[in-house]
Amino acid sequence: MKQNSMLAMILAGGRGSRLHELTNKVAKPAVGYGGKYRIVDFPLSNCANSGIDVVGVLTQYESVLLNSYVAAGGRWGLDAKDSGVYVLPPREKADAGLDVYRGTADAISQNIDFIDSQNPEYLLILSGDHIYKMNYAKMLDDHIQHKADATIAVIEVPMKEASRFGIMNTGEDDRIVEFEEKPEHPKSNLASMGIYIFNWKLLRKLLLADIKNPDSNHDFGKDIIPTLLAQDKALYAYKFKGYWKDVGTIDSLWEANMDLLSPNSELDLNDPTWKIYTEDATSLPQYICDTAVINTAFITQGCVVEGEITNSVLFTGVKVGPGAKIIDSVLMPGVVVEAGAVVQRALVAGGVVIGANARVGSKDSEHIELVSKRVKGAE
Amino acid sequence: MFKAFGIVNSSERNIHVEGLQDYRAIGAFSFLGRYRVIDFPISNMTNSGIEYIQVYVKNKPRSLVEHLGTGRHYNINSKSGNLQILFSEHSGVNDIYNTDIDNYYSNLECIEAVHYPYVVIAPNYMIYTTDYSKLIDAHIESGADVTMLYHSVDNAKENHLNCHILNLNRQKGVLSIEHNHGNAKNRNIFMDTYVMSKELFISLIHKAKEISSLYTLADVINAGCRDGELDVRGISHRGYFASITDFKSYHDANMDLIDYKTATDLFHDNWPIYTRTNNSCPTHYFDTANVSNSVISNGSMIEGTVENSIVGRGCTIKKGAVIKNCVVLADCTIGENVHIENLVVDKHAKITHAKEIISPADEPGYIKRNDTL
Repeated sequence: MKQNSMLAMILAGGRGSRLHELTNKVAKPAVGYGGKYRIVDFPLSNCANSGIDVVGVLTQYESVLLNSYVAAGGRWGLDAKDSGVYVLPPREKADAGLDVYRGTADAISQNIDFIDSQNPEYLLILSGDHIYKMNYAKMLDDHIQHKADATIAVIEVPMKEASRFGIMNTGEDDRIVEFEEKPEHPKSNLASMGIYIFNWKLLRKLLLADIKNPDSNHDFGKDIIPTLLAQDKALYAYKFKGYWKDVGTIDSLWEANMDLLSPNSELDLNDPTWKIYTEDATSLPQYICDTAVINTAFITQGCVVEGEITNSVLFTGVKVGPGAKIIDSVLMPGVVVEAGAVVQRALVAGGVVIGANARVGSKDSEHIELVSKRVKGAE
Repeated sequence: MFKAFGIVNSSERNIHVEGLQDYRAIGAFSFLGRYRVIDFPISNMTNSGIEYIQVYVKNKPRSLVEHLGTGRHYNINSKSGNLQILFSEHSGVNDIYNTDIDNYYSNLECIEAVHYPYVVIAPNYMIYTTDYSKLIDAHIESGADVTMLYHSVDNAKENHLNCHILNLNRQKGVLSIEHNHGNAKNRNIFMDTYVMSKELFISLIHKAKEISSLYTLADVINAGCRDGELDVRGISHRGYFASITDFKSYHDANMDLIDYKTATDLFHDNWPIYTRTNNSCPTHYFDTANVSNSVISNGSMIEGTVENSIVGRGCTIKKGAVIKNCVVLADCTIGENVHIENLVVDKHAKITHAKEIISPADEPGYIKRNDTL
């Protein structure tokens, strides 16, 4: 059943190079989060829960895993008739050679034919690397009510951090009067979340002009939004309240995982009315053995815990041997920590083995240690 | 193309699990928190390359049908495979007529339509893993008419009391099939698992109907053994085996598998047991949680103490609660300072007002589905 006339496009082409070895083999949206999820599960589940039927995912960097992962739209319930997830890497076309996506706007421009084939009235642009739960249908209601040409989701950030974000300065009734990318002296604390709703007809025109503009960066923030403002179009800010996190660095990815451990976490993954869907792992339930000690943890199926877990997140199939201590750490899928090893303030990449009695990470490190290679055991 | 199709049969009338079975067939019982009992026979089949599976249901089908769905989660090929759910349209006159033969007979058309030459029949109330493709190969190689899987035990006086036992000769030929009356320790417990040709299976259904309306498949094969008409052979099963034939055996089988070493006798890396996903998030252990020697499912919130127990999906265990030797099914709430021991707590139950419910270790208690205490 056609639920609304909005098509979603998720920008998932980025490498996320500040995640270092974690994105050596996979794109950032495919990086793990919260024990059993991948980051891209959040925008995809949000789309499914918001009643959006068709989602395009724009992939580029190391896209093999990401392509096959998102193409199984059934995971998010996006597989009914007239529904689906379309994987859209850059590709050769009848009238154009193979070209990489040169920017966020260019990624959309190169898929105008696909979007036209779906004939949407509205286009929702999302980023594939943020953790949050949001009902896009409400944002669309707002957009329609304002008779807006474009609506941009914003979140209030602390004023002292505002200069790290794209800041929207709004006037009456949340109408956007000015957009400043990473302003030195911010006038407001409304940060763009990189979530846009456009009237497709208007955006289509702008994109066609943008392709031909040799001075353009082909970027929504740098080019499209300023053009719209210059043309005095009706741009509105949609204020989002709740948990939102850009997990661009090892520290912030670790922190986002730690946020789940708080008893008053703003991000409730247990909410039956807004589930986050992900791939289904076939594994045993969690085995918490008789030698195990668990103090504040987020643990998923397939884990076998014989050691001590304090304030940590364990992904699918993690094994922690007897006497091992896991403190303030994130262990990604299939990590094995052998007997007596100590892992503290670390993020251990998938499949890494930490040998018996080894020590990784430290209590007072400035940054979280990323462990992406086997650590030999110690005597 | 594979040689056999699969049948998952439901339990006979003599088997009844108090409490739990009032709501669903044994196949739909929650097992080890994450699974349903029927996940084991079906996963065995799909892992063995059997993709055409018939599941027979008698009473209370809702829970089972919901769990099975299209069978997609069992890794059944969506085009070449098939998961059929077959009811018997039995009359309510007298339950004694509702035998497995009666169920097969009323669905004979579906059995005849299958184009595989062999059939593997497995029960929906036993927990084991085995490779049926090896069983079929052994069956074909031996030239036997019927091959039956059994498990040798030394505790048959107290366990498997409603199961069948096989009397074997030295060559593993089956001499007779009888009920386990608990009068000897060492027995070959029949695992209600058969391999035979589809042709023979259909002729046995007709033959049973001719002899007696109350005959089961085991009865008619037993008659064939005694008369020397059928060449029936046993094959011994190794690994973990449990039959769920009464309330205690259900509790015990869950308890057995809390031990990770015992679990490795049942679960093997190359032999996944599939189940239906519930999309629950990982389990949250809070700073007051104290959990040991337990099997925990996803989606739970644990603030209390859990020892030697199984916790199902989406349970809430509040501060100060103590759970020992219990099987807690999905979506239960155990309130603050509630102390429970040796219980099976059925789905959606809430224990908040009653502060202490302790059953004897050898006689576990049952808390009803949806109950509030």
